[in-house]
Amino acid sequence: MTDKRELSRAFSRRMLLRDMGMGFGGLALTGLLHQENTLAGQNIAMETSVRKLAPKAKSVIWLFMIGGASHLESFDPKPMLNKYAGKTIEETPFKDVLTSPYRANERVVAFDPNNGFVRNEIYPLQVGYRQWGHGGLEISNWWPHVAACADDLCLVRSMWTEDSNHGAQLQFHTGRHRIDGFFPTIGSWVNYGLGSINENLPQFVVMGTPVADCCGGQEAHRANYLGPQYDGIPLKVDPHDPLPYAKPPKGVFEEEQAGEFQLLRELNRITAESFPNDATVEARMKSYELAFRMQMAVPEVVKFDDESTQTLDDYGLNQDSTREFGRQMLTARRLVERGVRFVQVYHGSNGGAGNWDAHANLKTGHERLCKQIDQPIGSLLKDLKARGMLDETLVVWASEFGRTPGSQLSNGRDHHPYGFTVWMAGGGIRGGISHGKTDELGFHAVEERHYVTDIHATILHQLGIDPRSLSLPGRKRLERDYGEPIRAVIA
Amino acid sequence: MASIAVTQQLRLHGADLYTSSIKPLLAEKCIACHGPLKAEAGLRLDAAKLIRKGSENGAIVAVKDIDQSPILQRVGHSSPDQRMPPMDEGVPLNQEQLERLRKWLTDGMPAPEDEPIVQGPQQHWAYRPIVRPPVPVVDGQADSQSVIDRLIAAKQLARNIVPLERAEPATLLRRLTFDLTGYPPTPNEIAAFASDQTDESLARVADELMSRPEYGERWGRHWMDVWRYSDWDGYKLELRGSQRHIWHWRDWIIESLNANKPYDQMVREMIAGDEIAPTDRDVLRATGFLARSYHRSNRNIWLDATVEHTAKAFLGLTINCAKCHDHKFDPIGQEEYYQFRAIFEPHNVRTEQFAGEPDVMKAGLPRAFDAAPDAATYIYVRGNEKQPLKDKPITANVPKYLPIAFEVRSVPLPRESYRPDLTELVKQNALTEARKRVEKAQAELTSSSKTVESTQAESAAATRKLELARAALDSLEARYAADEMLSTESNTLAIEAAAKRAAELERSYNLLESEVVFQLAEQALGKATKSAEKDVIKRTAAINKANRDLDAARIAFDKAIDAFEADPTAYTHVGTEYPHESTGRRLALAKWITNKNNPLTARVAVNQIWMRHFDQPLVANVFDFGMRTPEPELCDLLDWLAAEFIESGWNMKHLHRLIVSSQTYQRASAQSSSRFSTNAANDPDNTTYWRANVRRLDAEQIRDSMLATSGALDRTRGGPDLAEEDGETSMRRSVYFRHAYEKQMTMMVLFDAASPNECYRRSPSIIPQQALVMSNSALARSLSRRLATALSNEISQSSPNLEKEFIERLFMLTLGRRPSDSEEDSCLAFLDTQARLLIDQSTLHAVTLGAKTTEEAAEAPVMRARQSLAHVLFNHNDFVNIR
Repeated sequence: MTDKRELSRAFSRRMLLRDMGMGFGGLALTGLLHQENTLAGQNIAMETSVRKLAPKAKSVIWLFMIGGASHLESFDPKPMLNKYAGKTIEETPFKDVLTSPYRANERVVAFDPNNGFVRNEIYPLQVGYRQWGHGGLEISNWWPHVAACADDLCLVRSMWTEDSNHGAQLQFHTGRHRIDGFFPTIGSWVNYGLGSINENLPQFVVMGTPVADCCGGQEAHRANYLGPQYDGIPLKVDPHDPLPYAKPPKGVFEEEQAGEFQLLRELNRITAESFPNDATVEARMKSYELAFRMQMAVPEVVKFDDESTQTLDDYGLNQDSTREFGRQMLTARRLVERGVRFVQVYHGSNGGAGNWDAHANLKTGHERLCKQIDQPIGSLLKDLKARGMLDETLVVWASEFGRTPGSQLSNGRDHHPYGFTVWMAGGGIRGGISHGKTDELGFHAVEERHYVTDIHATILHQLGIDPRSLSLPGRKRLERDYGEPIRAVIA
Repeated sequence: MASIAVTQQLRLHGADLYTSSIKPLLAEKCIACHGPLKAEAGLRLDAAKLIRKGSENGAIVAVKDIDQSPILQRVGHSSPDQRMPPMDEGVPLNQEQLERLRKWLTDGMPAPEDEPIVQGPQQHWAYRPIVRPPVPVVDGQADSQSVIDRLIAAKQLARNIVPLERAEPATLLRRLTFDLTGYPPTPNEIAAFASDQTDESLARVADELMSRPEYGERWGRHWMDVWRYSDWDGYKLELRGSQRHIWHWRDWIIESLNANKPYDQMVREMIAGDEIAPTDRDVLRATGFLARSYHRSNRNIWLDATVEHTAKAFLGLTINCAKCHDHKFDPIGQEEYYQFRAIFEPHNVRTEQFAGEPDVMKAGLPRAFDAAPDAATYIYVRGNEKQPLKDKPITANVPKYLPIAFEVRSVPLPRESYRPDLTELVKQNALTEARKRVEKAQAELTSSSKTVESTQAESAAATRKLELARAALDSLEARYAADEMLSTESNTLAIEAAAKRAAELERSYNLLESEVVFQLAEQALGKATKSAEKDVIKRTAAINKANRDLDAARIAFDKAIDAFEADPTAYTHVGTEYPHESTGRRLALAKWITNKNNPLTARVAVNQIWMRHFDQPLVANVFDFGMRTPEPELCDLLDWLAAEFIESGWNMKHLHRLIVSSQTYQRASAQSSSRFSTNAANDPDNTTYWRANVRRLDAEQIRDSMLATSGALDRTRGGPDLAEEDGETSMRRSVYFRHAYEKQMTMMVLFDAASPNECYRRSPSIIPQQALVMSNSALARSLSRRLATALSNEISQSSPNLEKEFIERLFMLTLGRRPSDSEEDSCLAFLDTQARLLIDQSTLHAVTLGAKTTEEAAEAPVMRARQSLAHVLFNHNDFVNIR
């Protein structure tokens, strides 16, 4: 049993940190009215709940496809689907997939009579593949720009998850099934564990329309019990309205507000002098300073005045189909450049399960969605590399699950939690490789199987945090499925 | 790789190493099986003395050759079958942990001499009976000191601490008023309190504050946190969690607190209101506590939440930890988890109608009731609902180690409760609805016959509709008559006659209806056949569908005819018939929880109340009083308060009065003296309450006090939840706004409002987004403008120094104190500079695309500068703080 004094000491230390406002960031905050490009982790020492490793990466750009992108039409070619097209799985030599023990990993919560089944009739690949880069990585023809960076990509083709419905979106971010409730997300753990490099900007930024209510909602980028200071902060790529309450109401003069800040600073300083033992005054003054700086710095990030026309063109800002995601990718680079730790970008929101949810019209749907993001992502990777930032920026592309080898409604695929692909690039991850395998039908992950928390653990490891060490008094990051860094892909 | 944490730990030696690093390690890995609860193999590892003693097989430490010690061999064993902890019970020790343990053993197992040995559950502080402790008489303290102060003084004395003096009257009143009502005191109240500093004045003021309806709203919000109040959540119109109209429960909470309903009674009504007073709607509202846990997608999630939070909220027990395996720290077996669940297994939620509104989507009272008295509960293997142990149904019960009677007696229900449709209210709703349909059909027929163009077919259809509506009304009336006869009349002939009539009218109605449906289907088929649709596939599909519908209508029609052949007295009873008895399990639980011999209930409640007065609980882990939680430093105070609480009749206002009247509550939070620094060194965490804690206002209080100080507050009480997006334009109190998953005011969320899912204690933070919302929200801007304007109007224009008076009054209103000289100077200078800045606005840069305020900025620069100043004070550190 934990000693009483120990417990209360740990408690009060945490309370102090919390009262200071930013936990570890708060410690880092003490000297930091200017931008401080400390290496990740050097400014954190006293908490025993985070163990530090040598960091390989400083930031993460996390791209999440809402709805379940097809692994079969993207990064995991299965010629057998063409060979046995129209046959049932039982009629192929691979009928064992149906009785595999891996199927027991699925946890059905809310039975959905329409979706989330094994689809028996093999559906052929809807797109061709070719090999890319020195490693000859096979990537579908819908991803030419991403594929052009093949030598930087690490395809993890052996992912699995538990939820055959879209609660898997939440699960991908928390590592826990939707049924288990809400928990801190990977971005918030990074924010919590590392603190800031740049004090003018939030450390965990979210772009794109979030996961819908059905599937976890805002909880997919929240910090839950870590506290709101570690939540992802939604950012709009709009210099006029980038953050909630980022600017005063209409008609207030900038000069008027500057005067108010000046007086507020004076009055709070008088209070701080009257109450030298009250650390919260100081913390609140700092929160105002940071807010004021954020109010200035954030619009600047989403204004692209200083970017070349070539860059804008590369990111696709001059084409309708790619503009929105291109702006987000460019903003992501600008955020990372300024020291933001975790940039989470959602793609494919439709207010429900998501646009990638290709129960029907997979070919036209996926082709259109890939067009929106392929060029911006490809440009982001190239741009990061050209600027020497890719080594310390880990880019992750993911979706909640893959899609069934069999057809649904004649021209689509159903949800598929048993095997799918996630890719990573940069941040000390080996490029030009694929890791793990699904079976001949792309049904089960069969070699080097990885649950979603392995991706989380890999990210934390690359950022220099021992993934098993993250905890608060009375709370562990995860109680099972902790995840292990995928050592084979770490350079 | 060696980490900072590890090197720090290895630097520790002797007893310190044990206390801070070995004992927690063994607690985590071993003591679930080798501790006070189980002591497998006779081995306990929860105290150094017991480790030295070893197991029933002998010593576990080989002093002469440490590496031969059985304990080291077992935890470091290479075979998973031999290694401890066993595979399913925990993660093996890592290399660093093994080294750490080895070092401690090598050092000779140093540990504090006075390490207490837990004797077992009966000795655990929270499981012992509540007994009033002796109250020490401390030398030099006045006899008039309250028990709270005397118990605390004893601790302070022992640690050489002299508490701070009483806070300034203005500070104290601000603290007290916020505490009891959620609002700041008015300047007049501050002045009156300052001029009446007698011994009784504070208690009198406290009583007055608690008599205001705002008291219930303030403390209602506290208890809404603990009891997990949540408005309904869902996707579009689909209900997924909690219940529509659950605000009735919120109003019940607030009203009950204002009426000072005893705590035990409140608990009983929330868990079993439907069994206590099956037809009393005021009481039924309380069962919102159960209705709130409704979860659409999965009954197990629903019941798990009910079990978990009933135990945490009222008992401070983590029974939920025993869902998959026996509890690791408390004497609660996995079977007992399911016994506890069985108490709730039969219950469900339904919505009662209100007079005049038959549509329960629009209005109604959500309430709990036992819907399935025979529903079976099974143990789930490892908590997995796919593996129920069906050969062993579980009987409702409570954890057995708490020796209090749990007696289940079923509760017979009155007809009004099990046949709600037969109540006059519901009957009138139904009949009125049926009559309205007749009137509507009548009106349509009248208007169709007036129109010249209306075809014969149309008016025939309207006639049919009217006949149908009349038949529906007749049938409903007859069925009601027959049902009422059945339950009141003993004359079988009369009953039979009524039943015959009901059957006949119902059948006529069904026949008529199926006929109409049949005709409509025929028409639809004709239309589909003649359709001009060019797409052959669509056309064929439409015709096929019409044919199918027609077939179905034909079958229904035939059935309606055949029905006349059946038993002539068989008719459909009105509405739903629920079970005539409630199992009484929840009432038994409610009585068990509120039994005055239950050692947990009063302690847990008192701790919650204390925490909310002092911003610091007596027991840190407010929802776990189990054996993992060490005895609190002020356990005797907790026990005394708990005993007092029970003996006062679970009287919450009595407890509040006791607490706020204590000197402990009234201490200053700061004082520039050597006393402060001495105390701060001796007791940095203020565990002996030698000063008041500075605390931040809760989210609701911040918004509410802006509304109150600016005079904008709308004091309307109760009623349906207000849309969260109206929080910046509606001036109602924050507690009345929607509070559900994804449906909370942004401002509330940013200021750490309760998560609707669980919040036994809030965690106030200081984050930049709070600064943004206070400085940039339209609400703060509008209210500060309103405040400055109203205040200026109050000040006499003949005042010798207008600006000074404005500043002083503004400070009093917003911060509850006068400005210091330097503050006044700064503000005066600001008013001057700001007004001059605003004279030539053409040179200034206005925000163009921001939110719209409800209150425009003043034209005159002097006035606008004052508005600006009011806005600064809303953002002042001490506007959101209590000292």
